[in-house]
Amino acid sequence: MRNSIWFLKGLRNGKKTERFPAADPGEPPLWPSVLEGKGEAACPTNALESGEWNAGKCIACRRCVPQYLPTGNQKTYSLSQVAPRLLSRSFYLYQVDSGTCGACNAELLSILSPQYDASRLNIFLTNTPRHADALILMGVYTEGMDEVISKAYEAMPDPKLIIALGTCAISGGVIGKAPVLSSKAVVEIQGCPPSPYTILEAIVEAKGGVK
Amino acid sequence: MRYYKTTRGNGRYIGRTASFTVYSDSLDSPITVGERVTEAAPGELVFNYGPSTGGMVESARIAITTPGEIIRSIRVDPTYKMRKLKITGLALDDAFLQIERINGYHSSSYQAAFLKAAEDALLPDPNQSLDEMLVLQMELERIRSHMNVMERLCEPAGFGVPYHQAAQLREEVSRLISSIFGHRYFFGVHSASHSTVNFNTGILKQSGDIERRFSALFESLQDSKIFVNRLQNTGKIDKHWLVGPAARAAGYRYDARIDSPSLDYRKYGLTPYIEEGRDAFARFLVRGNEIYSSFAIVNSIITDGSPECAKISDMHGSGTGASRVESPQGDLFCYLSLKNDKVEKIEFCSPSTSNIIAFEQSMPGNVFTDFHFNWESFGIWISEAGVSIE
Ligand code: SF4
Ligand code: SF4
Repeated sequence: MRNSIWFLKGLRNGKKTERFPAADPGEPPLWPSVLEGKGEAACPTNALESGEWNAGKCIACRRCVPQYLPTGNQKTYSLSQVAPRLLSRSFYLYQVDSGTCGACNAELLSILSPQYDASRLNIFLTNTPRHADALILMGVYTEGMDEVISKAYEAMPDPKLIIALGTCAISGGVIGKAPVLSSKAVVEIQGCPPSPYTILEAIVEAKGGVK
Repeated sequence: MRYYKTTRGNGRYIGRTASFTVYSDSLDSPITVGERVTEAAPGELVFNYGPSTGGMVESARIAITTPGEIIRSIRVDPTYKMRKLKITGLALDDAFLQIERINGYHSSSYQAAFLKAAEDALLPDPNQSLDEMLVLQMELERIRSHMNVMERLCEPAGFGVPYHQAAQLREEVSRLISSIFGHRYFFGVHSASHSTVNFNTGILKQSGDIERRFSALFESLQDSKIFVNRLQNTGKIDKHWLVGPAARAAGYRYDARIDSPSLDYRKYGLTPYIEEGRDAFARFLVRGNEIYSSFAIVNSIITDGSPECAKISDMHGSGTGASRVESPQGDLFCYLSLKNDKVEKIEFCSPSTSNIIAFEQSMPGNVFTDFHFNWESFGIWISEAGVSIE
């Protein structure tokens, strides 16, 4: 009885899932997004050097405005490898928080909300590294988590990927240095924090697209 | 320091920083607390949960001592992910980049505590327009944070539909924040070169729509016997040192929005919502009802206010200041000493530190399956409890 009442309430709410990444993002944030501009600007993390913008160092602090302006483009990720074909059906992620402020964790969990609904794209979070295809690494290096992260990675079955999520995990940003295992990341999802759109699209690409 | 005196403890106990015991009206010398040890008695076992597990949002080690189904004691170690922030010696605007990121989920509360402490140290009078901006940020942050706790409470109950409805509403609040402030977690809002906020006419309609659908969800959850049963009598606690929703759920009228002069809330006519149940359900009710009052404050600022961003570049000199604001999870205190425009000393007392102790003390006697409900009901963020600020 209880379940049927909630089911009806759910139906009444209608369909909320957007078509992204097949369609454009519905309401992308301005910060972080791809920055465009030119010239010198004082950047606290050296994300701007010789007129080049390094998204992996950017913390979206807005100090380079107006020389550089956000475009709203959410493609702030890079891949040096995609998952082997056998992983492209369903993709299980094990997240590890090395030293975050909590916002990267929240944005990762946001891809499960109805607007994004990662499960329709066969992307799932798992509670154990033993079932994971990819390790999602978030936050800066911390002494206490270093060994924990290595052990989680060792416990994962092959083939396995490392995804560095957020500026802290890629470069350390303004807080510290990147975790040791981040040097093995084949996917970098840039942003402080990256938006759920960026996270979702990067993971879809990492798993080799939608089947 | 306008508001704080370094005398013997005056007012209610808030918590500790590295150098002080913090009361609502004064700072006292630090007190030392003995090490908390977990030992199993014969027939008991200590079960370690974490520090890395998919069941938790952040990394923390939780040691549970149990003879079987009942939990005898529980200890939370938030230090595994201990970040070391180096803020001493930085100029205010550089320090601010790190302050925003102590707990990104409650970035506005940290921004407010820091800016009001800096104002207390350096400026003769508080800036009313800045207060409006900080209140607007913090009340939107409170709405999202309380919705997040509700969502997390529905998850272990296996309530798929309300869990997704709460997640959907939380995401809509994030998008509302993003449309006003350009960033979903308020980072860079007070940046010197780009401190523009966008109050478009659709905001009131959007927030009204979110509030209406939240109300339907909140009422449905209160009508659900199974949901109510999971939370009632779970994690009961009644201590005079509780902060935030945990205190108000135990009948204490504690709220820095009315008992701290740091941020001016008088014009909003806020009356703290109080429950007497002392359990996870009472904390849920407090949070739900606070969402309504936060929406009312947000709407009044958007309709009649003239909020302005901080001008951090105008803050110069030397001085000592302190502030206390009501973050979504309770009192957040900041002590700040500046010398020649640079941070000489900075200390925070975070609500999660107090809420971790409250969680530990409320857990004995509860059964294993209550663990997740009770943990989520306190809204703890490890990033603000396990951080060292130099
Ligand atoms: S927004 Fe990014 S690129 Fe611009 S100054 Fe800040 S960190 Fe540097
Ligand atoms: S990258 Fe930014 S949002 Fe993510 S953990 Fe680091 S400071 Fe927080």
